[in-house]
Amino acid sequence: MINFEKELKNFKPSPEVEDAESVIQNHDLTDVTDIITEVLREVRENAGR
Amino acid sequence: MICYKCGEEALDAVKCPACGADLSIFRTVKSLSNVYYNVGLEQAGVRNLSGAVVSLKNSLKLNKYNIEARNLLGLVYCEMGEVVSALSEWVISRSYQPEENVASRYLDTIQQNRGYLDSVNQTIKKFNLALHYCRQDSRDLAVIQLKKVLSQNPKLVKGYQLLALLYLQEGKLEQAKKTLRGAGKIDTDNTTTLRYLKEVNARLKEKSPSKKPKDDDLISYQSGNETIIMPKRFKESSIGSSLLYIVLGLVVGTAVTAFLIVPNIRNKAKEEASKQVLEASDTIVTNNQTIKELEGQIEDLEGQLKDEKDNNVKVKEQISSYETLLKAYVSYHENDITAAGAALDKVRTKYLSADAKAIFQGIDEEVQGQYLDALYEEGYSDYQKGHYEDAIKNLKKVFKEQEDYNEGSAAYYLAQSYRHNGDLKSAKPYYQYVIDNYPNTQRALTAQNYVNAQE
Repeated sequence: MINFEKELKNFKPSPEVEDAESVIQNHDLTDVTDIITEVLREVRENAGR
Repeated sequence: MICYKCGEEALDAVKCPACGADLSIFRTVKSLSNVYYNVGLEQAGVRNLSGAVVSLKNSLKLNKYNIEARNLLGLVYCEMGEVVSALSEWVISRSYQPEENVASRYLDTIQQNRGYLDSVNQTIKKFNLALHYCRQDSRDLAVIQLKKVLSQNPKLVKGYQLLALLYLQEGKLEQAKKTLRGAGKIDTDNTTTLRYLKEVNARLKEKSPSKKPKDDDLISYQSGNETIIMPKRFKESSIGSSLLYIVLGLVVGTAVTAFLIVPNIRNKAKEEASKQVLEASDTIVTNNQTIKELEGQIEDLEGQLKDEKDNNVKVKEQISSYETLLKAYVSYHENDITAAGAALDKVRTKYLSADAKAIFQGIDEEVQGQYLDALYEEGYSDYQKGHYEDAIKNLKKVFKEQEDYNEGSAAYYLAQSYRHNGDLKSAKPYYQYVIDNYPNTQRALTAQNYVNAQE
């Protein structure tokens, strides 16, 4: 049985054209390679100590 | 690929050509990103758009520089009606790769069609307003707004889903089903759509359970992929009953043909024949009428022709009379009295005009006396020469013009000519004329002797 209120929460407002700039700026562009690079950098830093 | 250690361009090398750092793991991640991209591409190809979004997002989470994945993601967003999301992906894609990037073409197309962008923006605003109405429990207003949105932006999948949810809530199951089918056409395997559809079907089934009573007379079983349904009591007809049915069918068919079809056909044929007879009669009457009219015309024409012919004859007679008068005139002036007199005899004075008659009479008076003399002399000469036939001809003319010519000489010698010619019967009247008119003359005595001899 579908719960109307619960389902309604799943619906988010769509970004409007005026919001496009903020959408692009707030876009999370971190990917796995960034994470791996960060991890490897921390490992190197720790190893350097 | 950029080397994480020295920041130099390493392309697809396992080790960085600049610093020698191990880049194998990055190559693996990039390969995995491409795998997700391929899956997303396949899903987009069969219109599993929501599935393609998930796959492509995963691809970009592994490698944000996967330009193809990002461009395809933008395309999928655009197809789902999420135009702003699509624009953001293409802008990011172009920022990563400004040259030879199809995202530039997509962005130019959108920018050139400003009206489309404004229209889509309006629909997004209306959708957000409808969502706001839903949260405020103004469902009727939300339904109205959503209908407007979907009419202007028929690709907005979540618009269909929200509307279907509202219909579900209001118990309008058929409308919900129809709306969800609309969403399914755009995004085939969308989980939300399928879930709502399952709910609708379940509720519809609850509402109108199957009314078919259990049919104990039917047996159904599976045979491979097919379901076979057959009656329990399946009797095979005997040959005798089959034959009986056939015979009965023939009898019924014959009876129907004989009593229904054939009389109808006959009646129609009779009607047709009667109609044709009537038409023929009409034609005959019309033709008879036409014949009568034509016969009348023929009579008139024949009458006219006769009149014309008579007129023609009259004209010819007139012409002939005038010609003869002319000949008589010419002969008279040439002193050919005989010819002039002969011509004058032929003239029919009734065809002459008054003036012509006067001319005729003038010539006749001049000629007649001399003509008779000439005729008599010629006739008498012929009598004396023994040319009795010529004598008869001339003397007869004289007698006709003047019976008492030369005191009956013409009559006497005419009779004599007849007698000499062996025609006593024709001579007798002329003898009798002499006897009657000139008695006590020698000629009368002679005539009397010849008359007595004949009797």
